[in-house]
Amino acid sequence: MNVQADFGTDPSGKGADDIVLAVRNLKKHFPIRDGVFQRVVGHVKAVDGVSFNIRRGETVGLVGESGCGKSTLGRCVSGLSDPTSGGVYFGISADDCARVDDHQSTGAALPSSEIADIEARHRIDLLQGDAQRRFRRNCQMVFQDSFASLNPRHLVVDIVGRPLRVYKEASGAELTERVVSLLEMVGLGRHHLYRYPHQFSGGQRQRISIARALALDPELIVLDEPTSALDVSVQAQILNLLNDLQRDNNLAYLFITHDLAVVQHMADRLVAMYLGRVSETGETKTVFDDPQHPYTLALMAAKPDLTDEDGAKLQALEGNIPDPARPPQGCRFHTRCPVATPICGWEIDDVVRWLEESPGMFDTLAGVERMSAFDASLRFSDTGSAERLAGALRSPAMPAAMQRAMEELSIDGASVRIRFQAVDEVQLTDRGFDHNVACVLDPSKD
Amino acid sequence: MLDMIKRKSGTANSSATIASVKDLTVHFQSKKGKVHAVDRVSFEIYDGETLGLVGETGCGKSVTGRSFLQLLPIPPGILAQGTVNFHPHARCASCTGEGCAECEHTGRCPVPCPSCEGSGCSRCDDSGAETVELLRLPDRDIREIRGDRIAMIFQDPGKALNPTLTIGDQISEVFFQHRTDDLLEASGFDAADREFGAGALKRLASQRNGGIDNLLLSIPPLRGRRDRILKALSEMVAEALAQTHIPNPQQVMDRYPHELSGGMRQRVMIAQALACNPDLLIADEPTTALDVTVQARILDLISDLQQRRQTSVLYISHDLSLVRRICDRVAVMYAGRIVEIGRTDQVFKNPCHPYTRGLLQAVPTAARKRGELMAIKGTVPELVDPAPSCRFIGRCQYEQSACRMQDPALHPVADEHSVSCFIHHPAPAGDAPGFDKRTS
Repeated sequence: MNVQADFGTDPSGKGADDIVLAVRNLKKHFPIRDGVFQRVVGHVKAVDGVSFNIRRGETVGLVGESGCGKSTLGRCVSGLSDPTSGGVYFGISADDCARVDDHQSTGAALPSSEIADIEARHRIDLLQGDAQRRFRRNCQMVFQDSFASLNPRHLVVDIVGRPLRVYKEASGAELTERVVSLLEMVGLGRHHLYRYPHQFSGGQRQRISIARALALDPELIVLDEPTSALDVSVQAQILNLLNDLQRDNNLAYLFITHDLAVVQHMADRLVAMYLGRVSETGETKTVFDDPQHPYTLALMAAKPDLTDEDGAKLQALEGNIPDPARPPQGCRFHTRCPVATPICGWEIDDVVRWLEESPGMFDTLAGVERMSAFDASLRFSDTGSAERLAGALRSPAMPAAMQRAMEELSIDGASVRIRFQAVDEVQLTDRGFDHNVACVLDPSKD
Repeated sequence: MLDMIKRKSGTANSSATIASVKDLTVHFQSKKGKVHAVDRVSFEIYDGETLGLVGETGCGKSVTGRSFLQLLPIPPGILAQGTVNFHPHARCASCTGEGCAECEHTGRCPVPCPSCEGSGCSRCDDSGAETVELLRLPDRDIREIRGDRIAMIFQDPGKALNPTLTIGDQISEVFFQHRTDDLLEASGFDAADREFGAGALKRLASQRNGGIDNLLLSIPPLRGRRDRILKALSEMVAEALAQTHIPNPQQVMDRYPHELSGGMRQRVMIAQALACNPDLLIADEPTTALDVTVQARILDLISDLQQRRQTSVLYISHDLSLVRRICDRVAVMYAGRIVEIGRTDQVFKNPCHPYTRGLLQAVPTAARKRGELMAIKGTVPELVDPAPSCRFIGRCQYEQSACRMQDPALHPVADEHSVSCFIHHPAPAGDAPGFDKRTS
């Protein structure tokens, strides 16, 4: 189904169709190279098909664990790295956006001239000349580590004034005055002009980063964990500042963070990512009141909160994030999901992962002959191991959902043939107003 | 598990202290002058409790934690005054560390003071227990305590683990340093024995074997013993790793730190810290570098182990919501001072110091409207030769002339709850502040 279109229609909100930036089916794969010739042996799928819109003046929160691809996505959105496929569209009208969506959902091999024209005008990695400059000045970024993102050899006046000089907005005394007014916007002053970054505290450096981002009066700022390195009292100052600036300048924010409390406080809408894909998206209030993806639930249960009752228990999520180079089939979360069902995408890799974790078993594995991701025969060096594997797979220690997903389990000498139910990748489905969840479970249908 | 470790105060345990810090003052020499990083900090850690030490960056909480084990760089650090008295436990004699009814299944029991036999004298601070003054202990002796009686978990396991050693080798070091006798016993070696190669075996079990020893130990009669020692060692390491729920410890032992995930590395650190069943664990922001989901598991693990072994924990963190979850008592530090200390429920339900109140209100929640977080204005002051006034002036909403003239000290406001602020105790001179008098 075409989920993306649902994003663009918000009957109540102000400027519902006023899209600043649209991300469509964005993929960023990093090659893994190995061997003498550095041949590409695989890809780390950091971002694997993500779509969302950012509207004028709103804050979109992007949350997820480390390694889920949220920073990579932020870099793609701000044009710092080029996507492998899919696109980031800047300044696109809602009609054009709908056309791109239609084109992608029909899956036409060659883009029509109309689509090609839209892409050339709005897709940020295809922009040329003035259009590219327009995008670059309208999309700024604030990084997590303000130590690394401010040049230690430059004075504040150079750092904040640099964008103005590059875009020939001001020079000489006028430049200095513009920098002073920018510094005043972020709560610093004229006496800070001729200092180096190391002379400031962490909170003040982050203010300098924000002043630099504001210099060209952008429409969108990508904030990549802007307060993670700061103390709570300073974090509160920066969050208040960001909010004031948004109100005064009608800024849109893409707020990347792992801190749910910050997102809940700051964001209008939320995009939760897991292993390169969106697991749940919707208005912040809706998602926090009624989280529907088990991963979102797990994130919320693991977060300690000052308002919790005494003695409330933290729920820890079991297992580790799987290797993003071979992401799980079906729902990517099924390996750790507490409520997994047989149709969540159980596969051969789940068996291999179990073998890796059990002492001695992986060493006896002689080969895996894969028919598909769900169907393979595992050959062992001795029959005992094959029987132990089959016994373990039938034992109650294994997830019941996994056992029910197993369509075939047979031992032939030292090899075990396993076949799971084949399923497609779980797509985002509509769960009410502007709320999309990528999970096979839907409480409203039960 | 987390809720279960919250222990009722006023139990028998709360009277016995495992360590007491008195007037600890640490200065750092800088170009501008002496930075008063920790200024007359005093607190006690009760046996078996978790004490939280919270505060912002640069408030001296890590310096306090590190001073326990003489891990401060001296110079530029200067230990200006103060003592850290530690009452080490010994392995329970009746169960040799396995845990029995006598030692309440902790495997450890207190040692009476050698000079007064437990009746209390000046040397043991009237505690009756053996007392070690950690700050002025010679190198040799502090090495005995580090990792054995007091262990530490650092913030970044990526930096704290040695990248050139396998996990097994790193944890082995703890046993080589502190469990030499156990290792020798595993090879059937009697301490009184003067047989051939005894020295070489001893040196192997304390990791001081040289080239000639390796040659000696490869001779058949000694080789068997060497192998027995090494086998016992690897069993001890695997056991320590299994304690922290690391799956497949045998395999993890052969890995290098970079091959493990952040959460896994932190577990290795915890395994290493708890390997010798310490009396006191100093956890310096152990979950700051981790994701929330991993953090919850690590906390679970620390509190589970703490509950099982009754280890006292000094938990250093900047995260208030976390400290509230796992600590029995909390000490709030600001600019090198403890400004408030009390039981967790007291401090969080009834924060008495303006700074504690400010910190609690600065935490973003859904309930607070966007852009209206109560930020504490200004920044942490530089601690170079501070004036004799309250350290919070300039940022405090309730500041009055009294606050600028004198320095408040910790005074009790309730049972076990002390605050250093003139709002709660009379100021010697000037206008006294109050929560009803707000200064803009």
